[in-house]
Parts: sequence; structure tokens; C-alpha cells
Amino acid sequence: MLSADIQVVLPEMVLAIYAMIALLGAVYTVKDGAASLLVWITSGIFLVLALWIGASNGTHIAFGGTFVDDGFARFAKVVILISAAAILLMSEGYMSRHGLLRFEYPLLVALATVGMMVMVSAGDLMSLYMGLELQSLALYVVAALRRDSVKSTEAGLKYFVLGALSSGLLLYGASLTYGYAGTTVFSGIIEATRDGVSLGLLFGLVFMLAGFSFKVSAAPFHMWTPDVYEGSPTPVTAFFATAPKVAAMALFARVVHDAFGGVVGDWQQIVAFLSVVSMFLGAIAAIGQTNIKRLMAYSSIAHMGFALMGLAAGSAFGVQAMLIYMAIYVTMNVGTFAFILSMEKDGRVVTDIASLQMYSKREPLKALAMLVLMFSLAGVPPMVGFFGKFYVLRAAYEAGLGWLAVAGVVASVIGAFYYLRIVYYMYFGEDKEALDPGMSPVLWGFLMGSAVVMVVGVYNLFGIEPAAALAAASLVN
Amino acid sequence: MSLFLVVALPFLGALLPGLMNTAGRAACAGVTFAVSLAAFVGLLTNLPAVLAGEMVTARIDWIPLLGLNVTLMLDGLGFFFAMLILGIGLLIITYARFYLAREDNMGEFFTYLLLFQGAMVGIVLSDNILLLLVFWELTSLSSFLLIGYWKHLPEGRQGARMALTVTGMGGLAMIGGMLILGNIVGSYDLSVILQNRELIQGSPLYLPALILILLGCFTKSAQFPFHFWLPHAMAAPTPVSAYLHSATMVKAGIFLMARMWPVLSGTPEWFVLVTGAGLITMVLGAVIALFKHDLKALLAFSTVSHLGLITMLLGTGTAFGAMAAVFHIMNHATFKAALFMSAGIIDHETHTRDIRRLGGLRHLMPVTFGIATLAALSMAGIPLLNGFLSKEMMLEEAYHTVLLDSHWLVPGLAVLGSLFSAAYCFRLIGHVFLGPVRDDYPHKPHDPEPGLWLPPAFLVVLVVGIGIAPFLVEPFVKLVTASVLGGTAELPYQHIKIWHGLVPALYMSIAAVVGGLIVVSAFNPLLRLWDAAPRPEAKRIFDAIIGGVVRLSERVIHGVHNGSFTRYAAIMTVAVVAVGYHAWATGTVGPATRVPQVASPVQIAGWAMLVAATLGLVLLHRNRLLSLVLIGIVGLVVSVGFVFFSAPDLAMTQLTVEVVTIILLLLALNFLPNRTPIESTVLRRTRDAVLAVAAGVATMALSYHYLLRDTISPSISEFHLANSYKGGGGTNVVNVILVDFRGFDTYGEIIVLGIAALLIYALTEALLDGPVRARLLNRKPTDPRAGDMHPMMMVVMTRVIMPVVMLVGFYIFLRGHNEPGGGFIAGLVVSIGFVMQYMASGFAWTSARLRYPYHGVIGAGVLTAGLTGIGSWFVGKPFLTSDYTYVRIPPFQEFELATAALFDLGVFLAVVGAVMLSLESFSRLARRAHVPDVEHPMDIDPSRDDPPDPLQPRTEA
Repeated sequence: MLSADIQVVLPEMVLAIYAMIALLGAVYTVKDGAASLLVWITSGIFLVLALWIGASNGTHIAFGGTFVDDGFARFAKVVILISAAAILLMSEGYMSRHGLLRFEYPLLVALATVGMMVMVSAGDLMSLYMGLELQSLALYVVAALRRDSVKSTEAGLKYFVLGALSSGLLLYGASLTYGYAGTTVFSGIIEATRDGVSLGLLFGLVFMLAGFSFKVSAAPFHMWTPDVYEGSPTPVTAFFATAPKVAAMALFARVVHDAFGGVVGDWQQIVAFLSVVSMFLGAIAAIGQTNIKRLMAYSSIAHMGFALMGLAAGSAFGVQAMLIYMAIYVTMNVGTFAFILSMEKDGRVVTDIASLQMYSKREPLKALAMLVLMFSLAGVPPMVGFFGKFYVLRAAYEAGLGWLAVAGVVASVIGAFYYLRIVYYMYFGEDKEALDPGMSPVLWGFLMGSAVVMVVGVYNLFGIEPAAALAAASLVN
Repeated sequence: MSLFLVVALPFLGALLPGLMNTAGRAACAGVTFAVSLAAFVGLLTNLPAVLAGEMVTARIDWIPLLGLNVTLMLDGLGFFFAMLILGIGLLIITYARFYLAREDNMGEFFTYLLLFQGAMVGIVLSDNILLLLVFWELTSLSSFLLIGYWKHLPEGRQGARMALTVTGMGGLAMIGGMLILGNIVGSYDLSVILQNRELIQGSPLYLPALILILLGCFTKSAQFPFHFWLPHAMAAPTPVSAYLHSATMVKAGIFLMARMWPVLSGTPEWFVLVTGAGLITMVLGAVIALFKHDLKALLAFSTVSHLGLITMLLGTGTAFGAMAAVFHIMNHATFKAALFMSAGIIDHETHTRDIRRLGGLRHLMPVTFGIATLAALSMAGIPLLNGFLSKEMMLEEAYHTVLLDSHWLVPGLAVLGSLFSAAYCFRLIGHVFLGPVRDDYPHKPHDPEPGLWLPPAFLVVLVVGIGIAPFLVEPFVKLVTASVLGGTAELPYQHIKIWHGLVPALYMSIAAVVGGLIVVSAFNPLLRLWDAAPRPEAKRIFDAIIGGVVRLSERVIHGVHNGSFTRYAAIMTVAVVAVGYHAWATGTVGPATRVPQVASPVQIAGWAMLVAATLGLVLLHRNRLLSLVLIGIVGLVVSVGFVFFSAPDLAMTQLTVEVVTIILLLLALNFLPNRTPIESTVLRRTRDAVLAVAAGVATMALSYHYLLRDTISPSISEFHLANSYKGGGGTNVVNVILVDFRGFDTYGEIIVLGIAALLIYALTEALLDGPVRARLLNRKPTDPRAGDMHPMMMVVMTRVIMPVVMLVGFYIFLRGHNEPGGGFIAGLVVSIGFVMQYMASGFAWTSARLRYPYHGVIGAGVLTAGLTGIGSWFVGKPFLTSDYTYVRIPPFQEFELATAALFDLGVFLAVVGAVMLSLESFSRLARRAHVPDVEHPMDIDPSRDDPPDPLQPRTEA
């Protein structure tokens, strides 16, 4: 019995044990001297785990339903692991150049990843909370990794305090749910909601949704995002923008479908509201931004709005659309952040988008890659980003949320403005002082790879469509 | 040739020019020409089928789930546009070969051009509206690359930005329209959509879909109010302007309107929107064009005007209007492309495009003069040229069109537009070519090599040919018109001919031409008037709108995201209250299942104290010491509350925790000023008060609601009451829960407690050498220090009481299993005893007498608890299973020995260690390295020679 359960959580256990052993090992030996090595090993383990998880199939339930390993979880885990590995690899050069490469960094990322894997596999409110907190606590620390920077510390502190508040809210919701469903297991909750939800359960639901919204940084629970994105070291920002978003979104989907899938009408309006507010806030707020990290923060808020639109559909197709959207979103962000990580002038980090003026003249290839990525982020066909948008728009429309789809289109039109502005600067700006040329091969590889994916992917989206359909089917039935 | 190949050829061929770059300019242009020609021939091979009225289709499934398939179709309309695109493309390629300078990167240019060409062909051949969208945006993208090709021209930047912004956003809006359209019909295939006119026009979403699609069309085809971007995009090289901005890309919007004509047209909405926009654009463009001095700007605005004309014709929704539109598209493409190329030649030769610096070119460039004049006269609507024919049809159609209940509005404006159109054509001829030869051209012009003038000359041959023998193209025009109509209306019976008799259109045409002549002869006074008149400059408006939007966004966002934490918390509170309200409003409130109890006077008194203390705390929180006292009161009332609810364990815990907390806070207060300064405004405090009250009331309402209702499952208290003695061997249920039922939780908690204490230690350790500590030590106390560092009474008391405290702790520990008490409370009690030693006798005195480090105590506690748990493995039970037995050792009475007590010992040790370690860590911050601690806290021995220093601050805890 126990050995069968352990079999199911083996990937998570391997990663957790590795992180702990490496942490202790490094503390008592060379400390930061091992940081580079640990970065490579950790990303290697991530990739191996992604292969391992990707190769398995079927639905396995462990520990009395608290842990579920199904297609949905595996899809999310593979995206999480691959993006985390990519971000780690990209950050190594930047971190060591700026003296930030501590051995804790890859291990905290590993622990956060364990948390995310537990989150997406949670079949119970308790394992949900455990995963969520493991992730969050690791992230609070990495946000404040640059201890001598006031901004980084402030970012970490704000994130922590608001995060604690949202966790409290989530717990409150979870305990109300427990009180009025009589169980914390999702399969039990969905039984309890068979005859509709009582007010107690409804409060439990909305408070939990508020907590999740904080984690996915959906407006109006998004306030931490711009400050944390700006204040954190750029690789950490890149990490924030990718894997945790996927995990939180997957968790969101997991709870609303696995636990409250029988009462779609009770959360659909809330999710739709979160979606529309996020899309518009993200689109409008980014217009005035000149700091590219802040801009990406608002961009991610808007993108989460679109992903939530898929979720708001409340259908298997909606979940599939959301998964595809998130996978595409992560890929685009990896490429974009690879570029942002390379933005330096005289060895100093630059984040002002005005520094990109006439970039195309000096670095035509990189400028072209950024052009592709920006168009894709804006959702301009035929870039892959368009397909993501199109999926969620269709999901929302077919679920009878026509107004949401139209609002999404309007928001994407507004949002296109600032992506295009970056392109405009790169191709038509005024000639000013240049960014440093050159880029580490790793960053270059990720930038180009991601851009190529955005173009070549239009062929068949690299086959993620059936995989996402399978994943969605395992969640919604 | 397969349609796939026709569309794919330019894309595949786009690789070639880049590869041929090193092989020379001729090879580069040659291969591009060959690719285009192949596609053109491929298209022509389908002509027989099209002429036979067949629909040529090709299909591959791409992403069927999305409804996105590569389906192509070729009918009259598609053929017509594809022919324009590829045919004019061939001429442009030839022209560009000679136009581009030696230092321009020709491979890059032709690659972009072919990409663009492929995208355009894709648009007109798509049978799937999603595929059409893909190609639509591809044209935006490739046109952007083409416009940006001459990167060194600064004026091109603004134009490119506007073009990109306007068409990009329009395209995205169109996605929405297409999505709606596809969902109304249930298919994204054009051939299906075009069959469902009633379904679409009857749908409530018809209007949003129409508006979104028209947004895409109007932005692409530069229709009012989006007409401003096109002239500013003219900084691109002339071949690009000629190809994109006259013949092809700007016609994509027109094409789409024609394509969608069967299903979208014929409604009042369509009529007003399309005809209205077209009319305004036509007149506005013509008037502005007249006063432009830049040759290309003039042509650009004239293009805008003519596009407006076509749009207006499509808007009328009649078959004749559609035919006139099709015919004018054809004619406009011929004469406008020729004019653009002529303008390029003039620019190329004279090195200027400013009309005011030109004139008299007739003698220097006779060939160019001939070409440009014929094309311009056609544009002006002079008979025997093709422009006359379609303009005549337009005026005829306008004459019959009633807009806003006015019979005069459309014809009047149409004549006005034609008048100005004729005027700028005459100005073009007159001011550029006629007049005396000047001697101040920037560069002495002469006719260029044939490569440059042959392409426009070819077009002018068409202009004249169609103008003289319209019957040659009439079948083709009717064929295309038929596919525009798509079977929704009868083909018009009228023939295209030069002479229709003395119809109203003829008079209107004459009026326009004569009026145009008059206007151009009075050009100079009119120009002064125009320059003097205030008029809205579209570009400035665009910039102002963009600037305004950016400023607005900045203001909004800086208002919301100003970095202030309280604001974030406020927004979050509002949001939470709002979602709570949503749940309250949408949920169903069931009946109360519990009966409220009647409050006794004691309860009411306790409640009143609690409320009074809390309110007092809010009001007096700026006085820190006072607020500490009030917090103490709150804690005490809560403890009493626990007693009242028969939870003595909790009460004791609460009480001891309260004491420890107060000591801790006192320690912190020692470092802080007495009062919290006021930093916020009254307004903000009011806001915060409102929010706090809202959140408080909401929480209260929620609690009240829950207190009156049972949860779904019965309370778990019963289970514990029943099993506490039976299973855990203790009658104190709370303690049994802590050490037995939930022993594992407790085990985790003491570990967390220990880690927290260690963290506090580590953090303060890091601070010891930092600037923070220096600031703390250098602070000036607000009040003078008390002289007596170690008050005698206190020292004596604490030392005397210490054994008593230990005994009480031991007692509480032992009785815990059956009576209120336990390891946790005992730990706190003992900690308080220790803390008091520190406070009274000083840090050094106490630590000198301390035998075990607190880390060790914590570790010992965790180990003890852990080993106890492991012990149960040896008897084959799960971790932390407790057991108990009764023993009797005379002379004592029988008593119980439980493994749980051992576990509780671990809890006790961990609590003592954790509390002491944290307190000690904090107090270390205040110790001064250079001031030795007093060795003798009880300074009562007068014989000793170290009098107390009354100035030394009392920093020890």
C-alpha cells in the first residue's frame, strides 16, 4: 500500500530529497563554490524528471486521494519542469556576473518546483495547501535574493506579507469548505455539491478563489506583481513569470473542476470577472511603462486574464485552451526574458525600453527574434501566440460568454500597443547609445529557439494540442 | 497549377533573393521576377475554369479542432485580385531592379517583397476566414519590414509606427469579428459563410461582428477616421509605395468588404457605416491632396480619396455599385501605380519630390511626361481614358443614392470629391511638367533608362486601351462582379461604354472637370487660404491621442500602483469584501439550525471590556506603552473567555503566552520612541476606517451566520471525549489531543518553533555587526533613564521566586495528562521564570549561570519527542503511538506512567529553549560591546568599590 503510494510520488520525492541533500552538502562543504555546478545538476534533474513524467501514463491516486497523478497533472508538471530548467540555465551567467549566484538559489528553485508539482497533483485541500506554501515560501526567499538591494528586499517583503494574507484567506476558505462539505478530499467535495452549494461552501469557494487569484496574479489581487517583478533580480523575475504561473493556474483549474466541477455556474461569473479585469488592467497599465520588467509584469497579468478566460468557459475545451495558452505563454516568456537578461550597457543592467532604440541596425537577427516574440505576445497571426488567444476566445464564446470573448479582443487590441512599441523602438527609434553587443550562447540559444518555435510551431503546435486535450479530459469529465 | 503552389511559390521563393545576394543585382531581381512569373502563370492556368464559372478549391486540414484549415478557393473576385497582385508585382520588381541604389541590400528587399506578395495572394485566395486572418497579419508584418527597409530615413519612423499601430490593432479587432461570424454560422469556411446571409444578418451579434470586421477593413484601407496613416507611410522606397499603398495592401480592406458583400451588405448599418465613411474619405482625401507639395503625399491622399470612392460604392449595396467598384479597383490600380512609378522616376532624377521646386519637366523628360499625364488625366476623369468610365459609373450610382433622407447629399459630395480630384490631377500636370524649364533643380533631370519607364508605360497602355475599348474588359468585370454578388442579386444589365447619352452623370462629370480647372487656376489664393485656415492635422491628433492615452494610463497606474503597501492592502481588502458580498448575494441562506443563547450579565461585561479595550487600542495606538496595556487587557479577557467556555488549558496557555508576549514587546518598545508619529492624512485615515469597518462588519456577519448553523458533519468533540481516557489514558482531553491524537502535529510544531527561534538567532547574529545595531545603540532615549539598573526588590523577588516557579512548572507538567496543564504551559511558565532573572539581574549575571545553551535545549526537546515516537516502532506500532500503564511504588498511591509524558517533556524542552533563545537574541542587540556588564547586580555591599553608574542605560532585558 505504502510502497504503491510512494511509487506515485516518486518524482516529487526524488527532487525533494535531492534538494535537501544538496543543501546540507553545500552548507558543510564549499558553499557558493558549488553554485554553478548545482545549477546545472538541478536543471538536469528537472529535465530527466520531465522525461520520466512525460513518459508515464494512466491515472494513479495515492495517499487516500490526497495526491493525484493524472494526465492533467503530468502536462502541467512537464511544462513546469522544462520552463524551470530553462530559466535556471539562463540565470547562471547573469547571477554569477552580478555576484548573486548563491548555492541556495538553484535549491530554492528546486524546492519551489517540488511545491508546484504537489500543487498540480493535489487531490485534497491539505496537500494543496502544503504544495502551495512550499512553493510560496521558496519564492519569497528568492524574490529577496539580492539582499543588499533595497528594491529586492522590499519586493520580497511585500510579496511575503500580501502572500501571507492571501494564504490566510485561502485557509479560511478551505476550512469553510471542510466545515460545509465534511471532507477535504476533492472527490468528496464534489459529492457534497451534488445538490448545489450551501452558503458556507460558497464562501469557502470564493475565498479560495481569491487566494488562487493572488497566486496567478489576477487583478484585483495582482498588486504585488509589478513591484516584485521590478525589484527581484531578473532571472528570478523570469522564473516568477513562468513556472509558478503554470502551477497556480493548473491548481486553479484543478480545484474548480475536481472539487467544484458540478457547480460551474457558481464560479464561472467570478472567474470571468477576474479574467476581464486582468486583461484590461494588464493592457492599459503597460502602456505607460518604460521599465521592461514592469512591463512584463503587466503583460503577465493580461496573459493570466486570457488564460482565465479559458477556465471561465467551464468546459473540457476551456481547460485544454488554458493549458495550450499557458504552454505557449511560458515559451514566449522564456525567449523574451532570455533577451531581457542580456540587456546591459557597459556591464550594467539596463531595463529601460528606450535603450532598445534602433536595435535592429546593430543586431538584426536578435531584433528579428524579438519582433517575432513581441508579435506573438500580442497575439498577431500567424505567430503561435495567436493560436493560444484563439483557443481561449473560442472556448469562452462557445461557453456562452460572448461578451467575454469580445472584451478579450478589445483588450488584446489595446495590449498590442505596447508590444508593438518595443518593436517600433527597435526598428524605427532614434539612434542613441547602444546596448552592449554580444550575448551568452545559452541566452542566445533560448531567444532564437523560442522565436523559431513561435514561427515553426504554427505547423501543428508541436503536438501539444492532443496532449492538452488528453490532459483536459482527465480533469473534466 | 494547384492553388497551393500559387500561394506557396512566393513564400518558398522568398528564400532565393537572399541566397542570390552575392550573385549580383540582376540575378537577385531575375530570380524574384521568375518566381512571381511562375506564380502568375500558375494562376492563369486556372483562368479557363474561372471563366467557366467554376470554383477552384484546394484543401488540407491544419488544426481542425480550431476550425482552422488550409482551404483555398479561386473565383472571379479572387482571380481578379490575385492577377492584380502578381501582375503589378512583376512590373514593380522590374522597376525596383533599376530604382534601388547600388548600396541597397537588394536580397533583403526582394525577400520582403516576395513574403508580402505571398501573403497578399494568400488573403485573396483563402477560403477559410482564419487562414485569411493569418495572411492578413502577415501582410502587416511584411509591409512593416518593407516600410522599414530604408532605416536611415528619420521621417519614415513616425509613419511606420502609425501604420503598424493602426493596422495592427485593426487586424486584431477583426479577429474578434471573424470569430463571431464563424460562430454564428458554425463554420469558418468562407464558402459556407457566404451561403448564410439570413442567419448572419438575423443574429443579435451581427452589429458587433460588422463593426469589428469593418474596423479591420477601414484601418487597412485607410478609411476615415483611420485615413491618416497612409500618407505618413510614404517614406518607404517608391516601389514599396507603389505596390503596397496603391495597388495591393490598401486594397485588402476593399477586397474583404467585397468578399463579405453577400452576407454583410444590404442592411442599414452597413449602408450608413460604409457609405458614410467612404464619402467622407473621398472628399477629405481629395481636398487634402490638392494642397500637398510632396508629390508622393499628393498621390497618397489621392489614393485615400479613391479608396473612399470604392468603399462608398460597396456601401450602397446595389449590384450596379458593386460593378462600379470592381471596375474602379481595376482602373485605379493601373493609373495610380503608373503615377507612383512616375513620381519615383522624378524623385530619382531630380532628387526632390517637392512640387514647388519642380516644373517644366515636359521638355527634359518627355517620356515620363507622357506617361504621367495620361495616367493623371485618367484619374481626373477625362474621356477616352479608363478613369472616366468608372468615375461616370460612380456618379451615376451616387445620383441614385439617398443618405440620411437627402437626395442631394451623396451626389453633391460625390461631385465635390470629383472636382477636387480633377483639380489635383491638373495641378500635378501643370506644376510638375508644364511651365518654363527651371535652372535650380537639385539635380539635372533627364528621362531614365527604359527599365524604369517601361513598367509604367505598360500600365498606361492599359489605361488608354480600357478607356477606348471598354467592351474588351466588360465580360471580365461582370464575371468578377458576379462573384462579388455571390448570387444575392442580379447582375446589372448596363454596359460599360463611353457614351451613355445626356445622363445626369455626364453633367456631374463636366461640372467636376470644369470646377477642377477653375480651382487649379485659382490655386495660389486658395493655398494661402488653406494655409491660413485652422484645420485638424490627423497626425497631430493621433500623437495627441497616443500621448493622452499614455498619460492617462500612467496616471491611473501610478494612482493604483504607487508602491504604497497600505494601498495594496486596501485594494485587496476591498476585493475580498467584494467577492464575499458576491457570494452572500448569490448564495442561498438556509434557515438557522441553532438557537441563540441568552447572554448573561457576566458575558456582556466581558464582551463590553473586550470591545472597549479594542476600540481604545485603535484610538490610542499612537501611545505605544498604553496600547501595550490595552493589548494585555484584550488577552486577559480572551483568557477569561476560554475559562468561561470550559477550556482551562487554553486559558492557561493564553495567559502564559500573553505574559511572554508582553515581555517581548516591552523589549522592543525599549528601542522605539514612545509615540508613533502621524504620517497619513485625515483622508487616508478615513478611507482606512471605512475599509476596516466594512471588513469588520463582513467578518462579523459571516461569523454570526455560521454560529447559528450546524456544519455538515457533527462536531469531533464527541469522539475525543469518548476516546480520550480509553485510548490515551488521560482525562484532560486537550492534552491528550496534543500529545496523542494529534501528536504528530505537535511534533511538527515544536520543530517549527525551534527553527523559528534559531532563525531569530541567526538574523540577530547577522545584525550584531551591522549599522542597524549601531543606530540602536546611539539612539537618544526620549525619557531619562531610571538610575537603578537592578532594583533590589526585584532582584530579591526573582531569585526567591525562582524555585517556586520551577516547582509550579513541574507541577503543571505532571498534572497535564489528566488536569489542565501540560508540557507547553509548563515550558512557558519556566521560561517566564528565566526571563525574569534576565530582567532583574542582568544579562551577564544570568548567562554566567547558565549551564546549557538554548540551542541544545531545543535539540534535546525535539530529540526526546522524536525518540519517544520511534520507541513505538519497537513494539510494532506506528510512529508516536502512545501507551500507558499504572504503577504503584510504595508509599505513593498508584499513579500512571504514559509514554505521552515523555513526549510532553520534549515539548516542554523545546518551548523553553525556543522562547529563551529568541528573547536572548533580541536582548543581545542592545548590549554594548565596550561597556562591561555589572558583575554584581545586587549592589548592596557598601564595602565594594564599584558604585553603580547612574548614566548607564538599562539595556539588559
